Amino acid sequence: MGTDRYAYLSRLRQVDPVAKTVLSTSAGAVCLLCGGLAPGLGTLLVMGILTTVWGKIPGRVFVRFLGIPITFLLLGCVTIAVGIYDGNTGGVWGLSLGSQVLGVTPASVHQALCVIAKSLGVISAVYFLTLNTPMTDLTGGLRRMHVPMLLIELMDLIYRFIFVLTETAGKIRTAQDSRLGYQGGFRSLSSLGTLSSMVFLRAWKKADNVYAALESRGYTGTLLTVSEEYRPGNLCYGLIPLVWGTQMLCLLLEGKVFG
Amino acid sequence: MKRSLTNVYFLMALACLLPLQTHAMHIGEGMLPAGWSIAWGVVCAPFIIYGFLNIQKRIHATPKVKILLAMCGAFAFVLSALKIPSVTGSCSHPTGVGLAAILFGPGITSVLGLIVLVFQALLLAHGGITTLGANTFSMAIAGPIVSWLVFRGLKKTNVSTAVSVFFAAALGDLATYVVTSIQLGVVYGGFGKFLAVFALTQVPLAIAEGLLTVVIFNILEKYSKSELKELAVV
Repeated sequence: MGTDRYAYLSRLRQVDPVAKTVLSTSAGAVCLLCGGLAPGLGTLLVMGILTTVWGKIPGRVFVRFLGIPITFLLLGCVTIAVGIYDGNTGGVWGLSLGSQVLGVTPASVHQALCVIAKSLGVISAVYFLTLNTPMTDLTGGLRRMHVPMLLIELMDLIYRFIFVLTETAGKIRTAQDSRLGYQGGFRSLSSLGTLSSMVFLRAWKKADNVYAALESRGYTGTLLTVSEEYRPGNLCYGLIPLVWGTQMLCLLLEGKVFG
Repeated sequence: MKRSLTNVYFLMALACLLPLQTHAMHIGEGMLPAGWSIAWGVVCAPFIIYGFLNIQKRIHATPKVKILLAMCGAFAFVLSALKIPSVTGSCSHPTGVGLAAILFGPGITSVLGLIVLVFQALLLAHGGITTLGANTFSMAIAGPIVSWLVFRGLKKTNVSTAVSVFFAAALGDLATYVVTSIQLGVVYGGFGKFLAVFALTQVPLAIAEGLLTVVIFNILEKYSKSELKELAVV
């Protein structure tokens, strides 16, 4: 599902998840702190190269995943760029409403572009982690970082159940759709309601069965599994200064050009 | 003449963006500055800790609750991935905020919501890790609390269950996006601007989600009285 499918094929799959998490979060955090157009695009470039060349994730997959958050990024950024300005503001362009203008100014467009670039930078840093680390390895890594046990266990269980329920929901949806269940607004709503409640009921029954199965195998309240053997992630730690250097360089360059 | 032409171009440019409304309620990765990301995380912490202790206590009493809650979390994730038809012809995704709050109460919903948001951010790139605190506060804390209060309040006044479920879900939905607008508004200025954009797209969705929740709740009430009773204990 989603990024997880590709994470299993990544060349970096066997690398220590903690190291990958540290690299990804430090790149994302510095990108967020720098802000601005160039550091965002710089982070996007570096993390994109790391994911596609080092992790061997196909480039088109990376680009396709970048496209997913674009829709709500754009919606948010249009709201930032468009505003109501006084008619005399320099460079304002848009819909005139008497003395006021509903539109954009060069400054507001620049701000919106900066936010888009920054977001893309952080997103690429997160994708480096998620496209190279399967979720089960990630929760194992979180366990080693001392996140509360109960939270991790809930995450593990939820992750496993997601696939079961998605399959159930997909099958019901196909069945409803083939009987014209999604023709028109109200019929769709009622079909969707039936689907959701049936998935809920099945989830409940399934939980009963899972618990019975666990209990009959001596379940005492925790599900512990042996963690996998990983390759040490020294290279990941070594790459952090490189990523930071690129981001700082971008920040300096941007300051030269616009400053 | 030139001015009206500009106006036409501007409106056309805006019209192109109308279909972009799926998942508008999540704040995307990197949209908030570092300070605000941390601040919202800190605001969430007491609610999450309360919910976490609450869950721990219940699991201690009945171990089966853990599996049930995990199933409910997975259900919330799957529900949020379904497409819901909206009046304007476009479609969006239900948040499940109201349903979860009515079924589990706001404490447990906050923890399950947090986990679901983590999965949405990592697996589907909806929302984000840096904006996790802000999204958790709007979708897993503020919205559910409003829903729960509305549901409890209306139940006391002898309104039919369907009506209270509808208002709980719809108002919880609205509360979520009002909070999201505030979160974006304090950073970028113009809180009203964000509210106006979301109001156009979200009011029909809130109504659709309210109706959907009523349909779900009716069926659950009909076929699974015992589970609902058990949930009141959970």
